[in-house]
Order: sequence, then structure tokens, then C-alpha cells
Amino acid sequence: MDSHPSFAPSGTQIDKVPGMLDANLRVRGRVPYAMDATLPGMLHAKLLRSPHAHARLVSIDTSRAKALPGVVAVLTGADLANRDDIYPYYGPIFRDQAILVIDKARFVGDPVAAVAAVDLDTAQAALDLIQVEWQELEPVLTLDAALAATSIVHDEPARLGQTFADIIVHTEADTNICNHFKLRKGDIEAGFAAADHIFEDVFTSPPVQHVPMETHNCVAWWENGTLRLISSTQMPFAVRAALAEIFKLPQTRVRITVPTLGGGYGAKTYPKLEPVTAVLAQVTNRPVRLHLTREEEFVTITKHGMQIRMKTGVTNEGKIVARQSTCHFNTGAYADIGPRLIKNGGFGTGGPHHIANVSVDSYAIYTNLAPAGAFRGYGVSQAAWAYESQMDMISERLGWDPLWFRMQNLLNEGESIMTGEPMVDAHFKELLATSAERIGWDPDQKASRAGSKVRAKGLAVIIKASVTPSTSTASVKLNEDGSLQILSSAVEMGQGAETTLSVLGAEVLDLRLDQVSITRPDTDHTPYDQGTSSSRNTYSMGTAVKMAVTDIREQLLKLGSDALEVAVGDLEVVAGQVRAKGAPTRAIGYGELVRRVRAGNLLATAVYASNGGLDPETGQGIGSVHWHQAAGAAEVEVDLDTGRVEVLKYHAGVYAGRIANPAQCELQTEGNIAFGLGQALYEEMIYDGGQLQNGNLADYMIVSMEDMPKEISLDVLEHLESHDIHGIGESSLPPCMPAVANAVFRATGVRITDLPITPEKVLRGLRAAAGQEVNA
Amino acid sequence: MSEPLRLFEPTSVEAAVGVLAALGDDAKVVAGATALTLLYRQRLIAPGALVSIGRIPGLDGIEVADGELHLGALVTHRAVELSPVVRSAIPVVASTFGKVANVRVRNAATVGGVLAESDYASDPPALFLALDAVVDVQGPGGRRSIPVAEFFIAFYETALAHDELVTGVRVPIPPAGTGAVYHKFVTRSSEDRPCVGVAGLVRLDADGTVADLRVAVGAAAETPQRYRDAEALALGQRLDPDVIARIADAYADRVDTLDDMRGSAWYRTEMVRVWVRRAIESAAATAPAP
Repeated sequence: MDSHPSFAPSGTQIDKVPGMLDANLRVRGRVPYAMDATLPGMLHAKLLRSPHAHARLVSIDTSRAKALPGVVAVLTGADLANRDDIYPYYGPIFRDQAILVIDKARFVGDPVAAVAAVDLDTAQAALDLIQVEWQELEPVLTLDAALAATSIVHDEPARLGQTFADIIVHTEADTNICNHFKLRKGDIEAGFAAADHIFEDVFTSPPVQHVPMETHNCVAWWENGTLRLISSTQMPFAVRAALAEIFKLPQTRVRITVPTLGGGYGAKTYPKLEPVTAVLAQVTNRPVRLHLTREEEFVTITKHGMQIRMKTGVTNEGKIVARQSTCHFNTGAYADIGPRLIKNGGFGTGGPHHIANVSVDSYAIYTNLAPAGAFRGYGVSQAAWAYESQMDMISERLGWDPLWFRMQNLLNEGESIMTGEPMVDAHFKELLATSAERIGWDPDQKASRAGSKVRAKGLAVIIKASVTPSTSTASVKLNEDGSLQILSSAVEMGQGAETTLSVLGAEVLDLRLDQVSITRPDTDHTPYDQGTSSSRNTYSMGTAVKMAVTDIREQLLKLGSDALEVAVGDLEVVAGQVRAKGAPTRAIGYGELVRRVRAGNLLATAVYASNGGLDPETGQGIGSVHWHQAAGAAEVEVDLDTGRVEVLKYHAGVYAGRIANPAQCELQTEGNIAFGLGQALYEEMIYDGGQLQNGNLADYMIVSMEDMPKEISLDVLEHLESHDIHGIGESSLPPCMPAVANAVFRATGVRITDLPITPEKVLRGLRAAAGQEVNA
Repeated sequence: MSEPLRLFEPTSVEAAVGVLAALGDDAKVVAGATALTLLYRQRLIAPGALVSIGRIPGLDGIEVADGELHLGALVTHRAVELSPVVRSAIPVVASTFGKVANVRVRNAATVGGVLAESDYASDPPALFLALDAVVDVQGPGGRRSIPVAEFFIAFYETALAHDELVTGVRVPIPPAGTGAVYHKFVTRSSEDRPCVGVAGLVRLDADGTVADLRVAVGAAAETPQRYRDAEALALGQRLDPDVIARIADAYADRVDTLDDMRGSAWYRTEMVRVWVRRAIESAAATAPAP
């Protein structure tokens, strides 16, 4: 376990937390985003993108584009490859993505050339003047085609980047296997031998889009040899490191600032637009903005499409004794963070169950589709779609109540997780029991019918890791008037990070929220953070902030002890004052203490680094600093004539440990329900020959408010004695899809194993069950 | 600098059609721009000029005259949805326009636009077809009227000449005692376009037999479909489940269903069968007793 200070919950501030401190400004549209930054002389950039899924670049002629009045620069991959002062590749694990296509294009939408011009229309017109000659190659469009390896997406040796403490690279040359994660717990053969029943099923889910309201955008410029960027990124330090490597500069010559984001959901982790924009700014020596259209956003980063073959052995007593999973995650044309995601998605298939024998082989597979990367749920949505569907399928085959079957297997305190570590702070059973109760679970009543409509209920419960090991640092300053400034690189993206961290800092010194301020990320001024992702901010950065403010409190108590001539142990901090316990008039204000020692301000810095990691051959070790836990329950109504599913009621339960910001916890959980129901019922990126067919918001459907269940209930479970804050930004998402599918099955007898659950799939299942012919 | 898109903002129908006649296919008419923007952004069209008709007076009227509901070309979907005149004259017209997309789109999209675009996945065309509406158009040679049944030729293709402008639509008000519905069936989000949409009208005689029955199916084929011989199966009959099923089957057999991401051709055929039945049933249920 990690050693970090434990903080007694005071609860004094939490009840008054306003959700978002800047809610008023947000509602009125007064919060500046990166796209609002306008610099003198700023140029506008557009990217020419490949029309082919897989094609060798034979020649490119930019002369007509360069001659167009208003065009300041046109850049190609060759321009970059020919420069000694630039390393033209990036990517967090493998440097497999060229800033602009150098040898070949690997998906429809791969950037081939970039134009900077005085306005967007001119930049767009210039793109039409660029002549490209391609030699088309056999495209790799499906997992099967990728595994057949008759065409190879990356046919050069992998260019490895910096090492990640938690990622083991198992790349296989001359294949489309980008990476392979292995987990071996117990003895899988012995486990299956001990099983009375063995079930093997295949589950698939498609790539989907994050759809942040704010599409990716940034502004880059150069200032006396330093690269400056204002970017909509969740990871300013990862972007800084990548740009320093590309331009062969010390990290101090790259400065990233990050305003509030209009949503991220994982899409804005790691560099995306920053490298090409920075090069354009360099060659033009002017500020350059690049802002993606919605159509471009669709081909920039996606959720991984997936296929999981899951084999589970159970005893007659209802105990799972073995599980073997083979997972193929479609990582698209470039690895991005896929090699890590397949690890979490891979061990995630072990589920929240105590299983003695587990074997997992999880692969990231290259194809010629848009790159896949981090997406809210981080592989666990795909894993849970498999195991929580299969839990109900097994229950059905063996005549068990799905709730009972889950209860026989959910992890208890101290039982070993798939990574071999003991489960600490286990609340799966409590979350699931509450979900069943809230939805009105009745094992004896599967469904009720009225006319052509059938209603039924479904359950799901999941486990999720937070990236481990990871590091957050925070600095704090206590000013001469007793006010507190927090310097943090946490990214505010609508989740309320700034409010929550302010509350956590204020609490330690018993300050009012209006006495606390927090900075936005600026890599020159705010200390390092690994990134705002993986539901880690409130826990990880929150811990760093509290450690730093606790340091200030200790400084104040020492100063107060001298000033008041009272032993430190007999002092307390209350409402901006250090005072003697039991003698409230013997007190001195924080500001007065700072002024007395002529320090100007009191300073403190803290580092919170979690420990852990998995063995490269067995996947055993510490997979997560703590484990996120969530359950869900859905009541659906299916129209038997059409197959259309309506979710009438949804309950989400999530374990929060200690709640830091109640309003935001609830809103994030509701957001997860919207995300989850969209993926359950509507969302999929549809490709034809590598060409995305629905890459816009008229053809690609996310849920609207009218699609949300009429009844939503939430159980943000708090256990104050744990003292530990659990991230809740993602955990309640993965249960949505299997909970709905399980309810649809109980209503209709139709088992959908391929997301999304479309009316047509359900109707075909109904017809097939009735023995009726169904045309292709 | 690149060639800018030319914008014309005529203030009369005559001036608008004059520009269209002069520019030919290079010009596109724009009103609410909800459809044009999508086509333009996806680079499916690349017009050299836009003729914005929003400043032409007199095209935004809603009125009843001579037993017909008149809707001007510039009337927005939202205005149709909320108009007391429409709600009182032909309530199903108001409710159908209220089912289109979302309120942001309805506030911009116009009656003339949804007709002239001829997108197979729009809701109002099938209803207009069932209601025997007539489209009024004007070109350099003057005005003419085109029955909706002859207006939609194919996907994105109408009987309009390139220099003609839709000025409005006239919808005969059905006789008292007519029940009318429009069922929009979506397979994805409630803001999606229909997988199929079915307009149904039923009027019964005093003896309970069918005096009038009309069914038009939208979004299932390139243009909205209506089969008068299938409708006639009900005339003079009581609307029992058998009769309804025969009509529904006739539509399912005859609509040449298309395949898109909202459903395959097979699925659409099945949905035509279901929703024609449901449209007749609910139109009959809403028909006031004679």
C-alpha cells in the first residue's frame, strides 16, 4: 500500500460546496476556451487529409497552393523529414505517427499536408490546389484482416519512446500486433478441470466517438526561441515532453498553458494537433491556430472497437473457478495509448469477481481505421460488456437468478483480484444490492407484457483501475492577508476540478472558498502533474494539494506556538486563525503570522506518487492504487413489433470513498448514464471500405435529453471511515451497456452480444427465435 | 484570396427567380440553411452563389382561405408547430412539424426548404402527400401549382425547374370527422430522422364503414409513397384487423425500401407493415364519431 497522509474528514466545508465556482460565468458563455485566444498576426491552419485508408505517398506538389495569395506556408512530411533539427514522429509509447505523412497514409483522414493562411477560407482553398499522387495498398479494415497479416499497417521497426513504468512492450514484427498484454493467475487448466460447466462466448463492440462539445484546438507561436502553446489538452506535461523531443529543445523552451476545456473524455490526452501547429508557427514565424471541424474530430481519436472471446468455468454451487479471455482491441492506424489501454481492458476482463484461475491475452491491433485511444471507461467498458453479459447468459443456461450468481462471486474484503492483490475497501455487494433494490429486482418475475410492449430489468457491476503508478505535485502559497493560492496543473474540463481542489485546500486551513484561488495549468509556473485522466484528479492531485496545505498548517502552528506561547499540540486552526484550544480569545490570524516573520508568503510543495505495477509475464502485482467500483440497474421496455428498446428507469451506484463535491459527483454520474445509454443503443462509427459513413452529428447519434430515462436514481456511496477519495468520473459508465442488454434479454429472450442494441438486431433475434425467415 | 461565395438577398420573388435564371445551377436557394449547411460542410455541393430569400416579404404567412390551409415558403417549422391557425385547421400538420429534429432546427428550417430539398428522410412530405397538398411555385414564366404527388421525383430531385422558387403550400382541410396522425419511427436518438414515417387519415360514415382512408409512407423509399388502390381496400368496409392487415401488407409489398444506417431494406419493409397498421388504427381511434 502507499504511504500517504490520512486526513480526518471535517465535513465542515463539504456541505456548502457550490458544485462549480464559476457556474454563473459558464452558463452565460463568459469562460474563455483555447479557441477564444486571438493573437496579433495570427494565421489559420487547415490540414489536407488522405482520401485512402492505406496508400504510399508517391509525390506531392504544393506549388499551386503556395502561389495562392494569402497562403503563408504549405508543409509536407518531406519538409519535416529533411530537417535535422526536427524529429518528425510522435506518439506516447511508440513514435509511430508522423507529424505529416512521410511514407504512407494509414487511414482516411491521415494528415498529409498543412497550410497556414491569413484566413480559413484561403487555407481551405489552398488544400484543393495540392496535387498528391498515391499508390494504393491493400487496406486492413477488420480485426480478422489484421490478424491474417497479408497487409501490414506498420512495416518498419517500432520506434520506442520513453518508457512508461506501467507498460510492457510485447510487439511482434511483421504482424499487425501493436502490443500484447498477458495475465496468468493460478492454474487455468486446473481451474477448468474443476468446473462443472464451461461457457465460451464472443462479444464485440464498435469504435465510438467522444464528442466533446469543444473540438480539439490550439494556438502556437514562438517567442525568442521558446515555443508557446495554448491548447485544449488534458495533459500539458505530456504535450510539453513530446514537443521538446520533436524540436530537440530543453523542456524549459516549451511552454503550454491550458484554459478550461469543453469536455475531454480521454480524447484530449497526449499530443494531437500541437506538433503540426507548432511547426507551422515556426516556419511562418507567426502565431497559428488550428481548430478541428466536427468532421475532423471524428477521425482524430476514437474508442477502441473490440472483440473478446471469454471462456468461464463455474461449479454447480455457483462459483466461478476459471476465466480465460482473448481480447482484440482495434487500435486503428496509430498506437496512441492503446498499449496501456489493452492492459487495463485485458485485466479488466477478470471482473469484480474472486476467481482463483485467470488467464488473459489482450492485444492492441493495428488497422487502417482512425486511431483509437483513451476513452471514458478506458477498456473497461469493452471488458464489462463481455463479462457482465456472460454472467446473465450463464445464469440463464443454469437456471440461476443473475443477482444470486453475482453475489456468490463478487469480491469480499481481502480476497484476491485478478492481479493477485487483495481487494481493499470492497463495496461491490453493497452497490449491487442497492441497485437491485432501487430497480425493484424480482428473481421470479422476469418480464411483464402489455400489448406489444414488454418490460424487464437488468443488472451489472464492474471494477476499474486508476492509472498506477502515477504522480501529482502541487505548490501552495499563503499570503500576507491569510489567503491561499494553489498552483496546480489539474485541467478543468467541466468536471469541477478547480472547485473541488479549492475545497480540499480550504478545508485543511478552515478557510472560506473566497479566500482560496487556484491557477490554470502553465508548464512554466505550475508544478508537474501526470494528466487529468483516469478519474485520478480529485484523489491524486487532491492528495498533493492537501499534503502541501498541511505543510502550511504545520508552519502556522509552529509560528503560532511562538507567538502565543502555547505548545503546538494545544493549538488548532479555525476560521483563518491559530488559536489555543479551549481559549478562543488567545488567537492570531494567519496573515499576522506571515507578516511577523517577514516571509512575504509561506510556501509549500508536495509530491504524491502512487506505487504499483504488474509483472510483464504474469500480470500479477498492484494494478491500481485503489479500485473503482460501480453497479447499474436498468428497466427497459421493448416493442416486440419493432425491436425498439426504451430505457424507462436507470439506477447508478458508485463508490466514492469520501465525497469532496456532492453536486459534481452526481452530475458526473448522470453524465456517465448519458454516455452509457448512447453506447448501449445508438452509437457506432460505421465504415465502408475504410471511409467513415457517419462522421458528423447529423448521421452519428448521441443521446438527447429526451432519450434519457424518465426516472434516474443515484447512489454515490460514501464511507467516511475510509478517508480515501475514489475517482467517480468513469466508473458508472461501463455497467450501462450490459445492464440494458441483460434487461432486453429478460424482456425478449434475445441476447445481443454486439453493440449497439439496435431495434433491427432485436427484431431479427425475435424472428429467429420464432423460427421465421429473416433476410440478410 | 480564394474566390468568395457570392450572396444575393433579393427582396421579391421576381428578383430571386431572375438571379436563379441568370446563374443557372451555380446558384442555390437558401432560407433556414439547416440542410444547405450540412451539404456544404460535407462538400456534397459547392455552389458559386447563394440566393437568400429571407428578405422577401409575404412568404411567411399562415392563413386559412377557401377551405385550404396556406403556409408560406418562409414559415419555420416551429411557427407551424405553434400556430393556433394550424392547430385549429389541421392539428396533425402542427404536431408533425413539431416532431422534426429539435427546437433549434425547427426554429430555422422552413416549409419551402423541406419541400424543395426532397430529402427522403424528412417528415412533412409524407403528411403533405396524404393530405393532397399542392405546392405553389413561381418562375420567370409565372406561377404554377404542382400537386405534392407529382412534386417529389427522386432523392434530392423535384419537379421544380432550377429557376423556380417554392412560394408556399396549400393543404385542403379534411372534412369534419376525419382522424389524422403522423407516426415518426426512429431507430436511434429521438432527434434522429425517421427510419419510416407514416401519415394516416381515416373518416367513417355514419354506419361505421370507411368513407375515406389515406396512407402515405415517408423515409422508406426515395420519395414518399401512397397507393390509392391499397387505400381503396377499406372503402365501404368496417375497419377490422383483417382489412387493416391487407392494406399494411400491400404497402409492405410495394414500397421499394432503401437501406441506410437507420435500418436495412428488410427491416424497413417490416416497419412499413407495422407502422401502416398502427397509423390506420390510431387515425381511426382519433376520428370523431360521425
